[in-house]
Amino acid sequence: MAAHSAGKAINTQDITDKARRDLLLLLESVRGKKNLVIERALAGTIGLFVKFSTLQEYGVDKLFFLENHNVDSSQRNIIFLVRGEKAKQVQTVAEQIRLVRSESKIDHDFAVIWVPRRTLVSNLILEEHGVLGEANITELAMQFVPLGHDLLSLELEDSFNDLTLRKDPTPIFASAKALMLLQKQYGLFPRILGKGDNARKLADLLQRMRSEEDVNASSDPNNSYLTSFGLTPSTVVENLIIIDREVDFPTILATQLTYEGLLDEVFGVANNTVEVDSSVLGGAPAPQQQQTATPTTTPTTATKRKVPLDSTDKLFPEIRDANFASIGPLLNKTARRLQSDQQNIHNLDQPLSDLKSFVQKLPSYQAEQASLKIHTSLAEEITKFTKSDTFRRTLEVEQNLLIGSEGSTTHEIVEELIARDMPLQTVLRLLCLESCLSNGIRQRELEHFKRMIVQAYGYQHLITLANLEKAGLLIPRESHRGYLNPISGSAGQTATDWNAVRNGLHLWIDEVEESEPNDIAYAFSGYAPLSVRLVQAVLQKSYLQNLVSPPRSGAPPSTLTGTGWRGFEDVLARIKGATVDVVQRGHDADVSHARSVLRGSKEGPRTSIVFFLGGVTFAEVAALRFMSGEIEKASGRKLVIATTGMVSGKRGVEGMVEKRGFGG
Amino acid sequence: MSKPRADWEQVGDRFYRKTQLYTSVFDPDLELENHVVTGAPYSGAVAVYRDESKIFSHRGAQTTKPTIDIYSCAGKLIRQIAWDRGTIKAVGWSEDERLLVVTDDGNVRSYADLQGEFTPFSLGQGAEERGVQACKFWSTGFAALLGDNSIVAVTRYDEPRPQLLASAPHGEIVAWSVLPPEYTSSRSVEVLLAIDKTVYVVDASECEDRGLEAGPFRHIGISPNGKFIALYTDDSKVWVISSDFQARLSEYDSKVKTPPKDLQWCGNNAVVLAWEDELHLIGPNGAASKSYYDSFMHLLPDIDGIRVLTNDVCEFLQKVPDPTEEVFRLGSTSPSSVLLDALDHLERKSPKADDNIQLIRTSLDEAVDTCVRAAGQEYSIHWQKQLLKAASFGKSVLDLYNSDDFVDMTEALRVLNAVRFYEVGIPVSYEQYIRLTPERLVQRLVNRHEYLLALKVSEYLNLPVDRIYVHWAGQKVRSTSTNEDGICDEIVRKLNGKRGISFEEVARAAYDEGRRDLAIELLEHEPRAGKQVPLLLSVGEETIALDKAIESGDTDLVFYVLLTLKKKIPLSNFFRTINSRSVATAIVESSAIDQDQELLKDLYYQDDRRGDGSNLLVTEALSASDLGPATDKLKMAAKLLRDSKEYATQVTALEEAQKLLRFQEAFEKDLNDRFIGLSVNQTMSKLIDKGHMKRAAKVQTEFKVNDKVYWWTKLRALVRKRDLRELEEMSKIRKSPIGWEPFYNEILGAGKTELAALFIPKCTTLTMAERIEMWMKCGKVAKAGEEALKAKDRGALEDLRKQASGNAMLDIDRMISQLQKGR
Repeated sequence: MAAHSAGKAINTQDITDKARRDLLLLLESVRGKKNLVIERALAGTIGLFVKFSTLQEYGVDKLFFLENHNVDSSQRNIIFLVRGEKAKQVQTVAEQIRLVRSESKIDHDFAVIWVPRRTLVSNLILEEHGVLGEANITELAMQFVPLGHDLLSLELEDSFNDLTLRKDPTPIFASAKALMLLQKQYGLFPRILGKGDNARKLADLLQRMRSEEDVNASSDPNNSYLTSFGLTPSTVVENLIIIDREVDFPTILATQLTYEGLLDEVFGVANNTVEVDSSVLGGAPAPQQQQTATPTTTPTTATKRKVPLDSTDKLFPEIRDANFASIGPLLNKTARRLQSDQQNIHNLDQPLSDLKSFVQKLPSYQAEQASLKIHTSLAEEITKFTKSDTFRRTLEVEQNLLIGSEGSTTHEIVEELIARDMPLQTVLRLLCLESCLSNGIRQRELEHFKRMIVQAYGYQHLITLANLEKAGLLIPRESHRGYLNPISGSAGQTATDWNAVRNGLHLWIDEVEESEPNDIAYAFSGYAPLSVRLVQAVLQKSYLQNLVSPPRSGAPPSTLTGTGWRGFEDVLARIKGATVDVVQRGHDADVSHARSVLRGSKEGPRTSIVFFLGGVTFAEVAALRFMSGEIEKASGRKLVIATTGMVSGKRGVEGMVEKRGFGG
Repeated sequence: MSKPRADWEQVGDRFYRKTQLYTSVFDPDLELENHVVTGAPYSGAVAVYRDESKIFSHRGAQTTKPTIDIYSCAGKLIRQIAWDRGTIKAVGWSEDERLLVVTDDGNVRSYADLQGEFTPFSLGQGAEERGVQACKFWSTGFAALLGDNSIVAVTRYDEPRPQLLASAPHGEIVAWSVLPPEYTSSRSVEVLLAIDKTVYVVDASECEDRGLEAGPFRHIGISPNGKFIALYTDDSKVWVISSDFQARLSEYDSKVKTPPKDLQWCGNNAVVLAWEDELHLIGPNGAASKSYYDSFMHLLPDIDGIRVLTNDVCEFLQKVPDPTEEVFRLGSTSPSSVLLDALDHLERKSPKADDNIQLIRTSLDEAVDTCVRAAGQEYSIHWQKQLLKAASFGKSVLDLYNSDDFVDMTEALRVLNAVRFYEVGIPVSYEQYIRLTPERLVQRLVNRHEYLLALKVSEYLNLPVDRIYVHWAGQKVRSTSTNEDGICDEIVRKLNGKRGISFEEVARAAYDEGRRDLAIELLEHEPRAGKQVPLLLSVGEETIALDKAIESGDTDLVFYVLLTLKKKIPLSNFFRTINSRSVATAIVESSAIDQDQELLKDLYYQDDRRGDGSNLLVTEALSASDLGPATDKLKMAAKLLRDSKEYATQVTALEEAQKLLRFQEAFEKDLNDRFIGLSVNQTMSKLIDKGHMKRAAKVQTEFKVNDKVYWWTKLRALVRKRDLRELEEMSKIRKSPIGWEPFYNEILGAGKTELAALFIPKCTTLTMAERIEMWMKCGKVAKAGEEALKAKDRGALEDLRKQASGNAMLDIDRMISQLQKGR
């Protein structure tokens, strides 16, 4: 696959190894047995690169989650592994230390490992609680974590909510830091492209950090002097494309229709694992693979089982990105192959040498069989969901909205869904989708829906609705907003002209081949996500151009060339948010020049990094992987996807929902 | 020129040499025997202070004030630190030339960079109570022995955290030493204690008796690489054992009655014993040599040798390095030696030069390498030159030779010779230079205010020079008292255009000097916004600090400034400050949601953000466990919005919420069931479920629930309840706001086909085909047939016939024929 060689350009394995090494080193520095207290959200992330058994080898006795004050004092050494950016978590750590210290009879040794860095605020809070001197404080500079060979994630759980709802720019800063690290390793990104206001902020921050890096590098005594010579443009990376999530809400609100996407929609995928009822898996045997860092103390109820979803699985990499419609045939094919293999072994007259080679293959064969069983049961469960009446109706509304047909039935269906007490987030997703695609819902209709929602689901959702409005997901349509107003001008586009963009970037494909995809739109069975189209506007210019305005018969297909956003400036101007296009040059023009001479004209930097600020969905990843395969075939370029975290409409909307009800 | 062998001495089968580094080091009046002398690693500075335990002659007033004097190895006074506090128990150095002074009550002062300013820290309460007895230092930390034999270790100085090690047995500690963490298998510091006849090893978690029986040991010395331990027994013997106590390597009998004053390692293969003026050098296998000094001497051990310091001389005692031995050993026939000889002939224009070369032709490259390396080990510039010339000569004969090492060595030697000059006084050996790294050597020069030399060295070695400028500027700020603008101008002029200059540090120096305005002025030039923040906070320019923090994009910094700001200024000013800065407001809001709702309320009030304020009250209502306060909060939330028109619907909703709670309360009382916490629809559903239709209807009218919603709710509730009678009743109603299809679907879903079928005829909006399917689902083929008959659809009837059986088939047949007849 294309992505495999992309992995070579940006070596994701290195990142995993380094994170593991760093963590184990920190654990080792505390002598003897220790209890590890870990932030729940971080546990899964850590589990991506360290097994629990490894932690035990490094002296970890018990694992606790940082909550409910459940830390016990069975070991003298207590290590906290917590994200230091959130004041609330820091506070909890401080309280825990105080609690253990006051309740336990032994003199404990505390160590705190802040991820990814020690913050001033954490110092302040620990000091206020009088425990700053108590704990040995270190930091684990864990930034990007690879979720796949071509997918890097910061695994910031709240990044979507932070950016959209709370307007807290912490994820932007974290992203900038992580991208700086990549730049230090691979050289300056020669060009930074992006769309969206936050993308602009990130690009600005990257440039600021670059100029500050000079000073930082030289004033850090531990730094070897070579790194202080300023960054020179990368020879590996061609450009960085930043997609601000706020530019493209509809894509996350639409239901993902790839296999992994639907797994996410139905069960929720976190840190490359999905947790399902064991009844779903039926008799499928537990894979004897890694036991991830599951705390022993938390009662993971016997009925839940974790299924790892990564490239170690035999089958999953092949089917993860396929449209769900084609999963049946795919699984079928594998089953047949396995069956014919099985028949081979029953053939008793085999020569001994054949038998030997077969026996050697046996373990992988068994693994494959186990994996097949698991995925068949998962697919079955998903089918139950996709066959349901609600799913059909939701999808109908969704697709109507995405096509842009102003169906009058849309509202009726939504009303019916509310009346039938369907899950709140399903309803909200549809309303948000409509709001996003038409720049708000008419005031009167919106009020009507709001009223229905609070009556059906409870008055606490006044807050949910306020949250959605604040995040810009569900807003009243205002006549003076955005493109309708000629005075607001093009500089600060605050709303997207979806009709123009739909045509300009060809966001809907009528005839989509789900089993033999020919366009990224297969991931949503017709809808081509705007985010991915934007990437195509940079990397697959002529393809997109021909799609938008098909050449008349006889005329040669358009071969649009150029770099950056060229050729699509008009469409971009109709999308809300700033457009970013920055060229980064090295300090030393001679060095860059010399390099380009040495390199010759043929072999340029060939990897593009696509960064999703605010999260990316599995379906988009699938679409990008499909696209990556195409461009690799055509021009040998590669694509690496990076993000602040995985997101889906479900998680995005759920984060805004008020969970409490009246009466305690 | 003296022979390089002149100061060699053979000990066993090895050679050791004593290089005289500097003469007339100290003032002859300085009574070294009454002073404690410690030297920083890598030939660093030397700290001298008076040993309080010794008697000394009174010499007038000036000596009554104790001081710690820091000298260079050449005896140049670098700094004098007046001591005003407590009894000094130990003075030591870290590898970055940080001076540490420990007093008997466990207070430590850490003087970085040879400056007079210090940062204090304490060894904890235990040390205060029991008193510090002695300390042992290693490159990055130290261990302190307390009065009751407990040991406290500090492993880093940037953030010292005294750690109590496992407790040691009681008894007099005759001698002790530390094994630095980098050499132990546990990666934690280990302390060796000689108590009674044995040695205990103490680390963070346990104390282990090594079971030796030949004690008491007067001295314990650990080799620089941590592999060997030298022990001095009571019967005047020196034992060398491996540091894991497994192997005994050599033994030496000094035959001296009094135990030596000091025992130190000289590199990793010799041990030095020192009495007042007598020195024994013990090589491997117990071979030894003795030497005598004119006056009292001190030993300053280093990684590759030992410096011997007396009043008038500073010497470096080391094993003759291998390349040097190879070149210079008497009668050596090694290629390198022959090459050096060839150079001699060449200089005398003797043809034998070529003979020599031919002789070693096959190993010439090796000879060149050795000469280059030997040059590095020479202190005499003459011999350095000779060796390099020899190497160069040999190189010229070779066709192919990589000259990188040669070039590097010439560069290194230039630097070494420059810093060894007596006025600089850093007699660093080549080995030490490599270990120290050029960067840190430059730092040491800067610490000694040798800015010009530091600059020249940095430029020569292509090192960054910004640190030097910054340090210079800091010093300038401290030492110049002319007007502020002048200094600032001068500094900026000099530092401008240099890459990577941190003005923040210079500004901090100015601030520490109490020159606030200068600090602010200098800070303006700092390129990193984030770095300006802490100092701006300390000079009291909070709002500028806030702006800079926002500029840096680092939310942690912004939050930090905000927290500081909040404590410092009145709340109203605080709000006004953040009001105009959206990022700041966002951060305050997002943190306050979890922590400080009152603050948030004030903020919303101040900014007149009623919607948010009201929502906040709603969240409070949600967290209230009792109905009373919850209703009150809702009331307040509604009141907040009542005045403004745009929130009219919100107000209605809030009032409804209160009303619902009232209703539910009443229901709970009347019906003795849980209602609170349910939504309007759920309440209706539950009421229907329990058969309270009237009440449900009342809720509908009271809350103006949409008819459709009400019907759906009712339908679902009845189906769930399996209330077939009521459903049948409903089928008699003429019109349904949601149509009849849902009835059919829901009831069918519940498996009641008979009842479901009742609704099919009512679904008049559907097509015939759909209705046929509905009938079929209920198993009523005949009815389906009638449907087709009505529509006169023969095709449909024939399809049905295929699916039908028994009576139904007959019926269908009948219909088909009827249809044919009718035609």
